[in-house]
Amino acid sequence: MKKLILCFILCIVCAPAFAQDAAEQPEKILDIQELQTESGISAWLVEDHTVPVIALHFAFKGAGASGDGPDKQGLARLASNTMDEGAGQLDSHAFQEELRREVISLRFSSNRDMFGGVVQTRSSTRDRAFELLRLALNEPRFDEEPLERMRAANLARIRNGLSDPNWVSARIANDRFFEGHPYALNSGGTLSSLGNITADDLRDFATTRLARDNLHVAIVGDITAENAKQAIDNIFASLPESANLPEVADINVQNVNTLAVFEAPIPQTIISAVQDAPPREHDDYFAFTVMNHILGASGFGSRLTQEIREKRGLTYGIYSYPQYMDHINTLNVSVATANENAGQVLDLLTAEMKRIQDEPVSAQERDETISYLIGSFPLTLSSTSSIAGLLLNMQVEELSVDYINERRKGFESVTIADIQKAAQTYLTPDNLAIIMIGQPQGLDHENVIKLTTLPNVE
Amino acid sequence: MKLFRRLCLVFMIFTALPSYAQDSEKIFNAQSFTLDNGLQVVLVENHRAPIVTHMMWYKVGGADDPAGKSGLAHMFEHLMFRGSKNVAPGDFSKRVRALGGEDNAFTSYDYTAYFQNIASEYLEEMMRMEADRMQDLNVQEEEFFSEQKVVMEERRQRTDNDPRSRFYEQLGYNLFPHHPYGIPLIGWMNEIASLTPEDAREFYKKWYAPNNAILVVSGDVTLDALKEMTQKYYGDLTPYPELDQPRVRPEIAEFYGEYDVRYQHERIQQPQIIRMSRVPSIRGEKHLGIALQILEDVLGSGSTTRFYKSLVVEQKLASNAGFNVSNASYNEGQIYVYATPLPGVSLDVLNKAIVTELQDILREGVTEEEVQESKDRMVAQAIFARDSVSGPARIIGRGLASGLTLDDIEYWTRDLQEITMAHVNEAARKYLLPDPSQNLIITGYMMPKSQPQKIEEDAVDTQGQEVVVE
Repeated sequence: MKKLILCFILCIVCAPAFAQDAAEQPEKILDIQELQTESGISAWLVEDHTVPVIALHFAFKGAGASGDGPDKQGLARLASNTMDEGAGQLDSHAFQEELRREVISLRFSSNRDMFGGVVQTRSSTRDRAFELLRLALNEPRFDEEPLERMRAANLARIRNGLSDPNWVSARIANDRFFEGHPYALNSGGTLSSLGNITADDLRDFATTRLARDNLHVAIVGDITAENAKQAIDNIFASLPESANLPEVADINVQNVNTLAVFEAPIPQTIISAVQDAPPREHDDYFAFTVMNHILGASGFGSRLTQEIREKRGLTYGIYSYPQYMDHINTLNVSVATANENAGQVLDLLTAEMKRIQDEPVSAQERDETISYLIGSFPLTLSSTSSIAGLLLNMQVEELSVDYINERRKGFESVTIADIQKAAQTYLTPDNLAIIMIGQPQGLDHENVIKLTTLPNVE
Repeated sequence: MKLFRRLCLVFMIFTALPSYAQDSEKIFNAQSFTLDNGLQVVLVENHRAPIVTHMMWYKVGGADDPAGKSGLAHMFEHLMFRGSKNVAPGDFSKRVRALGGEDNAFTSYDYTAYFQNIASEYLEEMMRMEADRMQDLNVQEEEFFSEQKVVMEERRQRTDNDPRSRFYEQLGYNLFPHHPYGIPLIGWMNEIASLTPEDAREFYKKWYAPNNAILVVSGDVTLDALKEMTQKYYGDLTPYPELDQPRVRPEIAEFYGEYDVRYQHERIQQPQIIRMSRVPSIRGEKHLGIALQILEDVLGSGSTTRFYKSLVVEQKLASNAGFNVSNASYNEGQIYVYATPLPGVSLDVLNKAIVTELQDILREGVTEEEVQESKDRMVAQAIFARDSVSGPARIIGRGLASGLTLDDIEYWTRDLQEITMAHVNEAARKYLLPDPSQNLIITGYMMPKSQPQKIEEDAVDTQGQEVVVE
């Protein structure tokens, strides 16, 4: 209950070996095999027979909600809800009942950029689990009954979200920060757009967006390379050769140097401040990451937490975290504080951003941060499924199997001067795009905008 | 996201449990010993990666808050990060991170737990720091008052900002009259605000001692090494003899009958209904407890179970519906059914359909086949439980700190086999639609603020007393 665990998922590709014995040969902590199947699909495997469990994670890049369009917002989401609701000869009940009986976890998910899924199974039910995934991907039924049921559940989710100020904040954030871009839309759909989506739309989604040329696969656990290759071909080889994906443009953060306020009768104001960030493949990635970690990514121990939570008791949690998407990279700061403190918290935030630009960080801050970023990597290897998630992310980000070591070297080489330079080059404390939900007081900003309607909900 | 699946997780965590080398009936093959000062130590070895979870559980939680000082146990958990004899305020987590680790803590009604996930080479350092704050915490005025403000922000964030959270807070208060389980764990705002550093010091002196704690370590360390380390760092801490007594808490008031809580709020757009009553905990009645968990699995674990199938798939009255048993607590647990109506379906119509469905289930009973399938499924789920480092530490710590024995946890899948269809149906008869002359039944109606006439009609219909809030 002590604090929000927000940000670690976002930097799952933080990925090196142990920090403390830097002089030693880096330990090989993950034995990744790069597989090439007979039909030409590539996949990454970590074989581990200690527990009779297998996890398969996959993603179709570019197949996410950014292709939904304004009239069919929620298409990718609804596809992820209905693809496991009947396939081949099995109707929704038969399909779900078999998953339940065999204790197979099979689910699909989507975000702005990707459509993907996860299967987790015991070794003893492996073949059936993979067959059910094959059916779901290749022969989904999209029957009317489950489609209507999932549509209704999504509409209820939206109506429920309307009483949750964090959900409201996310709607406004997308609309302001990505204005004019598909990212501004609601990937979960709107009350009207969900009604426009037909079974034909879902079929079209499945046949055009899911293909072999945008597929990434990771498999981990109690399975050999030969069996894994065969399974992957069985599941994915019949998919179309190439996906037909909508063109999506790149974008920068919109509405910078504005503070948009959405009045809500709540005691605490929810604040989001966003700016552009350098891409992951940029040479400055490592310095930027270390700088941001010191500023606000580490939760406890970060400067923002120290100044705003620990010293002044103004919030339960403040985090700064990068978000790497296909068409934009951002640095986001999230914090919530009693209405009367909103202005003060914003001032403290910009002051801390300026301080890390104006003064070099201490050697201790640099050393401890790098030690954490390198040393915490093995913590992500704590289960079959978490290893599979890591492998998938590395592939989606187009990193090499050796990235774990590259990244370690990348962090080790970051100097105090590099950190300050990254802060000076990239942080824009006077040019943030800011939104506040609540009844904020004490605002001292030149461009305050009052919002009265909630976008992308109706 | 499918809500009903997420709601099954709590139970799955408790039952998800594998078998291992030496004793195939045990789930974790945990090893256990107790130091002379009463600190119980449990180890689950796992050598897949060079990491450990180090977790200290104290048998004290929000239900032990002194009267009028709600939120003290939780706020105290925060203070454990604000400085001890050898660790400066705010430095605990910083030090853990500098070693590549992650740490946090959580408070429930029955326990408070502090944990670190870290490379196994730093396990000793974690013990040194954890032992320091077990016996040498400094509650400094300045730190206390700034943390008090943090906790008030936490309450705003968790509860006061969201009318749904206020609704659930008030349901709990009604379900556990005169018992601390009915008081919000985080505390009432005015009582959080009135806590003092002296309250925290007294709480610490009363509860934080080795003979009121359980250390669970999971990961890459051997029993011999662990024995040596725990003796070195925890062996010299002083026990408090008065803590060897069983926990004493107020009795729940003997209020019987059916109560409706009709909650309206201008920011609610999606109505919901929930029917709740209390059940004995597993600690109190083990066989009944397991039978109830099987019942939950049969009726409430997914879209193919009877309850969801009837209300959502067949009758098309709700967009979601489920059934949940939560009975792993030290004192009484709770059982509830809930449903989210489709547009145009009133909560009263939905309530009648829920009752009818429960009556049908009781009349027909669960079948031999359903019970057997459920047991098989739980045994299968057990395999996934060992497939993580921190998972076993959480399951074991939670069980022990809630009053179960290590054998209760380890032999869960074996004990499961003793439960028959007759046990499950008996549990269903007693608790699915409990007799209001001997039980307290709370039905919560959460709805938008715009149906004044409807309310009056309903009030007339309602049997028993009505509690209208906000």
